[in-house]
Amino acid sequence: MSINGPVTRRQALRASALGVTGLYVAACGSSSATQSTASKAGSAASSGNSPVTLNWETWNDHYLPAQIAAVKTSTGIAARPSLESDDSDGYLKVKQTGGQYDIVSTDALWAPKYFHDGLTEPFDVESIPVSSQLYSIAKEVPFWKAGGGYLVYPNGWSSVNIYYNPKHVSPAPTSWEVLTEPKYAGKVVAENQPTDLMAIAGLATGAKEPYGMTTAEISRAQDFLKSAKPAFLKLVSQNSDSVRALADGSAWMALENLGTDFRVKAAGGPTVKEATPKEGVVGWIDGEQMVKASQHKDRFHQFLNGMEQAPWVAKNFLVNGRPLFNEKAYKMLVNQGYKERADLLWYNQPDRALQMTLKGPSGNVQAYIDAFNQVFGA
Amino acid sequence: MGHPPAVTPRRAPLHRRLGPYAGFSPAVVLFGGFFLAPLVLIVLYSFWEVVNYNVVHHWTLDNYRYFFSVPTYVTTLWDTIWVAALTTVLTLLAAFPLAYWLARYVRPSVRRPLLVLVIVPFWTSYLLRVTSWTTILGEKGVLNRFLEAIGVIHQPLSFLLYDRPAVILVLIYLYFPFAALTLYASLERFDWMQMRAAMDLGAAPRVAITRVLLPQIRPGLTVAVIFVFIPVLGEYLTPQLVGGTRGVMIGNLIVNFFQGAEYTRGAAISLLIAALIIAMLVAFRKQLDVADTYGR
Repeated sequence: MSINGPVTRRQALRASALGVTGLYVAACGSSSATQSTASKAGSAASSGNSPVTLNWETWNDHYLPAQIAAVKTSTGIAARPSLESDDSDGYLKVKQTGGQYDIVSTDALWAPKYFHDGLTEPFDVESIPVSSQLYSIAKEVPFWKAGGGYLVYPNGWSSVNIYYNPKHVSPAPTSWEVLTEPKYAGKVVAENQPTDLMAIAGLATGAKEPYGMTTAEISRAQDFLKSAKPAFLKLVSQNSDSVRALADGSAWMALENLGTDFRVKAAGGPTVKEATPKEGVVGWIDGEQMVKASQHKDRFHQFLNGMEQAPWVAKNFLVNGRPLFNEKAYKMLVNQGYKERADLLWYNQPDRALQMTLKGPSGNVQAYIDAFNQVFGA
Repeated sequence: MGHPPAVTPRRAPLHRRLGPYAGFSPAVVLFGGFFLAPLVLIVLYSFWEVVNYNVVHHWTLDNYRYFFSVPTYVTTLWDTIWVAALTTVLTLLAAFPLAYWLARYVRPSVRRPLLVLVIVPFWTSYLLRVTSWTTILGEKGVLNRFLEAIGVIHQPLSFLLYDRPAVILVLIYLYFPFAALTLYASLERFDWMQMRAAMDLGAAPRVAITRVLLPQIRPGLTVAVIFVFIPVLGEYLTPQLVGGTRGVMIGNLIVNFFQGAEYTRGAAISLLIAALIIAMLVAFRKQLDVADTYGR
């Protein structure tokens, strides 16, 4: 073919199609080669302590980089964390990618959904030696028992409370209704989590099941959010943004996890206090699940046994400031002089974790998002 | 002397025939694999539905119907369009004098360092550039402190941040280099003798600019509009970081859908924005026709 003559559109399209086909065939070839290598790697990993890397869908407060490095050194198991923005995000990623993930972190009532949809596998939590360091209540969560085993290795918990700056917010809030007071217009921040904010609005308006509201309850919750909207300065993507807003004084209240008061202080901000609204609070208890399609299930126990040791958990508490389920770590914190801080954040009362309205998949997520967007749209 | 025997031309081997098109490969992989294929998926998703966190392959137009049936989405889309339009106009108004001055009055040896200054912001990350505005416009930010120091205000102004004006201001800052460089490239090629001739013939400077200069740099202006307007339409991060609850754009609502696993509705609204962009490009196609500029 001459390269000097003009190229017709037909010729160009044909050449492109051939190129794409060639690339596709090449990609399929290399993909199956990779797959075969991966299978071999998987079976190799199954034997003994050979090095392996686990793909872990999680949140950034579940690990410290130094912790992952230390576990790799001691067990040969490396971890490659990728962050999920919310439970639904993690759920869909695992659902769509099959065995690409080995471990996935989740909250409370999401774990039974993962299991019932065939995405995770129960395991014997007692067979992981480090589980002896857990509060016993963490191993007895009723909805985490299924299929003759346990669905989650427990990590931590928190309620979502009102944190307020007493210099500007007086009297101390006792109800979610404080969000509708005109004097606090533009002075509240919260994380941009539509389902959770709708659930909080549900609590405020007396919904029986804030994550499973009826159409009428959703409508009432939406009306509450509408009246509370002027109070919201911004909806942030990370809780560190809430901490910053409280610290720099641009916000007087935040709907945040336990420990926000300490984090604001550490960021050089004013004293903020925690208030628990009388209507109740939503909250989460979370942990790690074994992905059913994982090729490295045999390394799950060994990895968690390395990751969940008390010294690391204690360090994690000091960095991220919310209660965890490792009792031995609590005792270490007490010995290190952090008893007051740990007790203020209810670390010594894990039973409180089951008294909250727990996070879970919404029965009607579409209606939740619709209602939320209609409030916070332009 | 007789004619040489007729030779049937042999087809060149496949690899030689494909050789000239080898340069297409990266583009085919990039745009075919990472743009076209996902786009097809988004189109399909927009006609499916989500039931209990599962994407069900049940064909429906409900996602599109839903969008137009809820006033909030339509209002937010219109607001997004006017934010993009206003940002584009203001960005071009800010960039044009700089490009004009650079192209017409600055010595070529000085132009290069000045052009480098225009693109200096690109040396830092987008996120950092947006976040830095919170320290300028915030209640304890540089601007409020300055105004307090010179006695203009006694209480910090809270409306400077977390509202729509902040979004527009930051967007102008972000897209200014795109507009300035595009306009400069156009103005640099302009024959300034034509301006002089127009004024010699009695045209006022403003008339010379509008009747002689602007028509000739129309393709550059159009490209600048496209470079600013289109990305602003899809902006998510800037309104998220500096817009607060009063500076929401349509991108923020789309993110809420994806966050709640409502992929199909998110896909439908994303495609509506894409359709808007395509319509705009079609409308601008004639403006990009260089032949028109030279009257050919």
